Amino acid sequence: MSDEHTHHHVNYLRIFILLCICTALSWFFDEMQARKIIESKAFIVTAVLAVAVAKALFVMAYFMHLKFEGKWKYVLLAPTVILAMGLPLALLPDIGVHYYAVDIPQTDHTATSSHHGDTEQPAEENGH
Amino acid sequence: MAHGNANTPSVLKMGLPIPNSKLGMWLFLGTEIMFFTAFIGTFIVLRIGSVDASGFSAWPTAEDTHIEIWAGGFNTFVLILSSYCVVLAHEAMGHKNFQKAWKCLLATFALACLFLGVKSFEYYGKWKHNIIPGQVAENDQQAIQKVIHKIEPIVTDGLLALVPAEEKSADGWKQPELSELMNQVQGKDQALDSLAAEFANLRNHVLENVSLNVELGRREYKGVTADGKELTGFLEQSTAPQDSAAPPTAGGEIVILQTADGNRVEVIKAGLRAGREPPPITAGEVKHELERMKNDETYGKMLSSVEYHEPLPYGNLFASCYFIMTGFHAIHVVIGMILFGLPLLQRTNLNEKWADWIENCGLYWHFVDLVWIFLFPLIYIV
Repeated sequence: MSDEHTHHHVNYLRIFILLCICTALSWFFDEMQARKIIESKAFIVTAVLAVAVAKALFVMAYFMHLKFEGKWKYVLLAPTVILAMGLPLALLPDIGVHYYAVDIPQTDHTATSSHHGDTEQPAEENGH
Repeated sequence: MAHGNANTPSVLKMGLPIPNSKLGMWLFLGTEIMFFTAFIGTFIVLRIGSVDASGFSAWPTAEDTHIEIWAGGFNTFVLILSSYCVVLAHEAMGHKNFQKAWKCLLATFALACLFLGVKSFEYYGKWKHNIIPGQVAENDQQAIQKVIHKIEPIVTDGLLALVPAEEKSADGWKQPELSELMNQVQGKDQALDSLAAEFANLRNHVLENVSLNVELGRREYKGVTADGKELTGFLEQSTAPQDSAAPPTAGGEIVILQTADGNRVEVIKAGLRAGREPPPITAGEVKHELERMKNDETYGKMLSSVEYHEPLPYGNLFASCYFIMTGFHAIHVVIGMILFGLPLLQRTNLNEKWADWIENCGLYWHFVDLVWIFLFPLIYIV
């Protein structure tokens, strides 16, 4: 089969360096979280996932050459992405967000005893 | 559409301007996207839903589960570098520089091996800390039971080894209960005897749910003396009064209670009521007892494989999610290595016929890298 490339020149080394910088950025955010310099969990989650999406776009667009492919990429990827997002969205109300009271052993346990039985516990405390 | 005649056949342009193999690979990658997002999406939902009684997240932390970010970060770098090598290989194939392409593929293969090596190290760590689906204690009682179940086979197997073989092979022989087994082989191995006795004591306290600080069998009772005085004390096992000449009183049979100040008082048996329950055994007590037993000079070495693991709420759910996501990813890495192995086996015979194969396998490999790009923050950082 003949090479269908239109000879788009991509500086792969530059993309690789950008990917390394993004990885280092993720590590940086984790260090900020570990040292409690940034305490907001929501910020950390948003930041690291945004970095992950940026890295994914770099890989898909340049390494996988999707930037230079035709419109068929949307036809192929759109249904998969929609279905991929559909699963967690469908499960979120029941299992994630709990719009009804959750009654499971883990919550029962955390309600009645302290976490991590590391030290001697008071004699009156009952473990489940 | 071009209309042709008998001399010039029509040229119909149909389909996409890419090879069928490339389209096939992209369609497959579309299904793979759904495959992995099923696991990742489920993990996200389960993680959000794993709350404590107050509604706050109770998902095990990275410290609890021995997740090392350096390992995840290093693996991310390794996979990105391998993707870069794949892209260089593909470019080299396009320029017909087959030797360079082969070297880049070799580098990719080596980096994949490195990735799997680091992953194996991480899996070993999980196994060592017993963070395996179905093995994680999620509350104090399960943590205590785990210790008992870990020590029990060491003791019983050791004792059984001391029972003569001809006795064990006799018809109708059944493994006796622990205390009977201890009696049968007592004296043959002093270290094992000591361990068995300590273990039996620990196990019985766990079965009775009585603190190790309290002697088993000593239950508190409330009683009434013959002259109507109420008191609390521990029941002496022998109900025969020391002074056998004393006749039973009109109230009925007499038993002896030992009070807290050391007095022995006669009370009427019929009037006995249960007193305070003895304090239950705690996970902390079992942990300290295990440490003491492991440090014992006589038998401590026999317990070298037994560890106390802190209970982790949702630990089993974490382990399931972790192994299914990273395990399937590792399987995909192995498949990628096999796919790259075939052109690698060509050595100096690598030629332009392999260009499409390498391009398509490159697409697969980039997808594997993409999955890890999302797994890394979800597992190691968030």
